[in-house]
Amino acid sequence: MGNNGKKSVDGGGLVIFEDVSQAIQGEKVLRAGGYEVKLIAPPPKYRMGCDLGVAINLVEKTGIERLLKEKDVHFMNILSTTEGAAELVSVVKTTDYGKWLMIKAGNMKLAFEKATGIIVNTSGGGCPDIPYLHAEMVDKKLIDAPKPSELGYTLCALMLDRAYEEALTVWNGGN
Amino acid sequence: MLLIAGTVPQKDMPLIAGPVKREGDQLVAGGRAFSRIQGTGAMISAALTATEYMGVEPPHVAVAGDIGKGDGTRLMYRYLTENIASLKPDVVTLHYCQPFMNLLTLFVKEVEKMEKPPILIADAGAMYAAKAAGLAQKFDVFTPDPSEIAFLADPAATHPAYIANHLFGSEIEDVPELIAAAYRNNSAASVLVVKGARDYIAKNGSIVATVEEPDIPVLEAIGGTGDTITGLTSAFVFAGVDPVEAGILAARSNRMGGKMADPTPATRVSQIIDVFPAVFKQYLCEWSGICAVPSKGDK
Repeated sequence: MGNNGKKSVDGGGLVIFEDVSQAIQGEKVLRAGGYEVKLIAPPPKYRMGCDLGVAINLVEKTGIERLLKEKDVHFMNILSTTEGAAELVSVVKTTDYGKWLMIKAGNMKLAFEKATGIIVNTSGGGCPDIPYLHAEMVDKKLIDAPKPSELGYTLCALMLDRAYEEALTVWNGGN
Repeated sequence: MLLIAGTVPQKDMPLIAGPVKREGDQLVAGGRAFSRIQGTGAMISAALTATEYMGVEPPHVAVAGDIGKGDGTRLMYRYLTENIASLKPDVVTLHYCQPFMNLLTLFVKEVEKMEKPPILIADAGAMYAAKAAGLAQKFDVFTPDPSEIAFLADPAATHPAYIANHLFGSEIEDVPELIAAAYRNNSAASVLVVKGARDYIAKNGSIVATVEEPDIPVLEAIGGTGDTITGLTSAFVFAGVDPVEAGILAARSNRMGGKMADPTPATRVSQIIDVFPAVFKQYLCEWSGICAVPSKGDK
């Protein structure tokens, strides 16, 4: 895997662990999974557990969280280290197009047919996994489609997951 | 040369580079085919329709497979950084990729060494990285959608998923203030083409044009209808159109394409791209004075 520079992790994310051994294990697992990460001493305000954390590119949070869980590496939290921007967008908007409904969460959207629950469109992109998710989700029923958070790797996928969950809730409540 | 760089949603696809052409529902470059249906493929496809119509050189592409793990993004940036000086493109458009700030920074440093730097256009992941790395002002054009202009307006945000909620909740009337904030924060390119219910084109802090007709609300539900604006803007800039005028032409063409395609939320963006040649034939000369004799793109 390519690495064009030594300072490869400047993506504003930090995984916090309860103890040092878990942090070291987490770093190994993530490196083996192809992620560019490094062990760091977290700034004091982010210290919840031990004095060792793993710096990550925050955009890769979804895939990193899934990999750590798959490998049974226990972590306390994944934080944004950017001041004032630690909370994900929580606003979800709905647009009614008659036969279709569009749900938008953050910069991601999903449209489905009301009568059938079939997903007819999702966002074109934003992050590289979104076109991939588009191909995997469109033309499938909401209940049969893969969850974006289980198939995607990025924060965009996490936002699409919110739109998907909201669509599922609307679909279940309305039918 | 118009060089378009991005990723395509195919696992294990190596980096491919070279001039692009269309074969059916595929794009082909460097001997490999990739989909024109979504993402960077749709953006390239839109640009290709415009270059074909205007009779200018087709886009060169540098794309690699990436489904969100960042592997293709790294290949893309490595290629760009190592080859930009020899390629000497006139325009470079960066599109879907993981927003790796360090790799974008290395690329921009190489661009700055060039005797004649290309016009730089960015959308999506490349735009996120440019803003987050403090490199926005190195770019000539950004093409954000409404949530992305809120991201550019939020000085603390490093990704559109982390925009302050009060900014994301903004309505169309608030977009001018978001544009102003993006420029104040040095988070905007020289020109912004803000794609939305009303398209705004801004330059150096001031809104210089809006486009809102024809109004086709359903376009918002169709994934990729912002990518087409980025692709068209890139092609028009490459053809020598001023970036502001290129943004206006792209916005108008996209809306008219939407109208001609008579879409529903289930329409695919490729169906809209397919009517662009008809849009150009009917309107481009009237709108812009670009009255080139149509070449292969006119069918």
